[in-house]
Amino acid sequence: MDKFEEAFNKIIEKDRKVEPRDWMPEKYRQTNIRQISQHAHSEIIGMQPEGNWLLRAPSLRSKQVLLAKIQDEAGHGLYLYSVAETLGISRQEMIAQLQSGEAKYSSIFNYPTVSWADIGAVGWLVDGAAIVNQVSLQRTSYGPYSRAMVRICKEESFHQRQGYEIMCSMAFGTAEQKEMAQDALNRFWEPALMMFGPHDSDSVHKGQSMEWKIKRESNDHLRQRFIDRTVPQAQYLGLTIPDDQLKFNEETQHWETGPFNWDEFWNVVKGNGPCNQERIDHHIAAHKDNEWVREAAAAYAAKTELEVA
Amino acid sequence: MEKGDKVWEVFIQKKSGLAFKHVGNVHAYDKKMAIHNARDLYTRRGEGRALWVVPTEAIVSVPLDDSDAFFDPADDKVYRHATFYEIPKGVKHL
Amino acid sequence: MKITINKEEAKFLVRIADTSLILGQRMAEMCSKGPYLEEDIAMSNASLDLFGRAEEMYKIISKIEGNQFSEDDYVFHRNEREYYNIKLVEQPNVDFAWTMVRQYFYDVYAKEVYTQLLQFENSEVKGLAEKVLKEIKYSHSKSKNWLYRLGLGTEESNNRLQIAVDHLLKYVSELFNWDDLDKKYFINCDQIETQWNTEIDSVFEEINIKRKEVPPLSMRDCRDGFHSEHMGHLLSIMQYLPRAYPDAKW
Repeated sequence: MDKFEEAFNKIIEKDRKVEPRDWMPEKYRQTNIRQISQHAHSEIIGMQPEGNWLLRAPSLRSKQVLLAKIQDEAGHGLYLYSVAETLGISRQEMIAQLQSGEAKYSSIFNYPTVSWADIGAVGWLVDGAAIVNQVSLQRTSYGPYSRAMVRICKEESFHQRQGYEIMCSMAFGTAEQKEMAQDALNRFWEPALMMFGPHDSDSVHKGQSMEWKIKRESNDHLRQRFIDRTVPQAQYLGLTIPDDQLKFNEETQHWETGPFNWDEFWNVVKGNGPCNQERIDHHIAAHKDNEWVREAAAAYAAKTELEVA
Repeated sequence: MEKGDKVWEVFIQKKSGLAFKHVGNVHAYDKKMAIHNARDLYTRRGEGRALWVVPTEAIVSVPLDDSDAFFDPADDKVYRHATFYEIPKGVKHL
Repeated sequence: MKITINKEEAKFLVRIADTSLILGQRMAEMCSKGPYLEEDIAMSNASLDLFGRAEEMYKIISKIEGNQFSEDDYVFHRNEREYYNIKLVEQPNVDFAWTMVRQYFYDVYAKEVYTQLLQFENSEVKGLAEKVLKEIKYSHSKSKNWLYRLGLGTEESNNRLQIAVDHLLKYVSELFNWDDLDKKYFINCDQIETQWNTEIDSVFEEINIKRKEVPPLSMRDCRDGFHSEHMGHLLSIMQYLPRAYPDAKW
């Protein structure tokens, strides 16, 4: 073991942060690039299902809140691309990987938002799940990633509330609104739970990531935390969680769920979700349609930026 | 982004009297765009009153292999830190 | 629900509020469609500013009218002919050049409009104008910079910019068709037009864009609630929920 590797191991062991210019094992670098870029892509693709209702938001207030939230997601995607760039990959490369399908993003965004209540469900459940995960990642070992998580968690604190507020107005609204709210919960509940990834017993990347402290808590652990928090919130709304095996275990003080439909999960991951194609097509179209804008900006800069102020 | 764009490091001063703090970076093609992008990304919640952007490539840093030589010599200069000095009991405002 | 606007002052201000709202809605369409992430965020900021200034203005209008209707009533329950925004801002995002030219034309116009509102008798309007002018100053510098980039960037960008300018200029003469209300509440209508023309001409000259003679369109005026075909589509999307579920509260 040379002195660099020793120094790296010591950082991990002492729970300190690895910084961009520190030596790190190639696999550590690659694992971080994969995870951080996937996280960034999720923020960016996640703009679409919510953007789907931006123009139809039913009040000026909800329109502004939703727009600010989607804008935050763009910002958070950007912070995360910046973090990944410190590991030696460019944003351009990451975007190419996203568009070619080589890089993944969270499967949840391949589901459609078909009613305004879905915007509530996305904020409440999807952001809720993301926050549980991100709070845990504040302690990740890669310094820039950890700092980005701190910032992102701070900024996202209103996101889940925005979703729950919509759920409240729907669940306590007219019969039609309540029906929309229940329908949204029915469709988003299980996909939200599966956002935490496969069960610990089936997780491919788990061991090494935990040892390197990239990941601090296991999938099942985080999922359980989310379930325990969310079930009472659904009860308050008077909505029914779509799981007839759901029960509270007095001994462990945890909510226990029935088995998930992992076949559907993997099918969506493989590209066969309701909107996989639409999401990527949208991203590619925006990128391609504006190629001339980027070229113009580059040409203009080349002509005018000679004198550095 | 593509060819022609640059990465710019962003520094924000929250209010007068405070130091500028590095907050992250943005991509941009030219100086004005860099300032605009930094403003739109990093001051969405009224975080700043003044802003700097610096092309990342203009930042000079200590090569990793030399870092021992750069920083270790300062390790033993404890007399630069206030805690090094013993203050007689009862003496205040030092 | 039939929305009425009765007081003259409110009738004048609703034009300004509607113009902000409709441009905000158009700008919101660009969310996740920008040339790159940073610009996407910037366009959302522009849209948020526009919605914010529309909301504040509707609140003021509501007060002037004696709180008969809320800001959301004005937004979601008026039909096409009851909207009084300038047609310029309802024009679609054909490409990024259209988006930026529309924004720039608006910014130059709005800068002078809100500057004159600083002298408005109603102190709430004055206060709003002060805040809005800061936003516009920023937005104006941004959209103007983009005109330089597109005008002087590549041959293609210059072409696209010229096409957008040629089209959108058709909707500019309407801005200056002053009626009695305008003359009553603006300090100096002609100044708005002169300022606009002076800035546009000088910028166009620098960025290699021609200002062609555009004969005015044979279209009825926005001040009487007339719009282009685009407007109906925009409203049907924007107003869908409150109209489909009239009993619901959101």
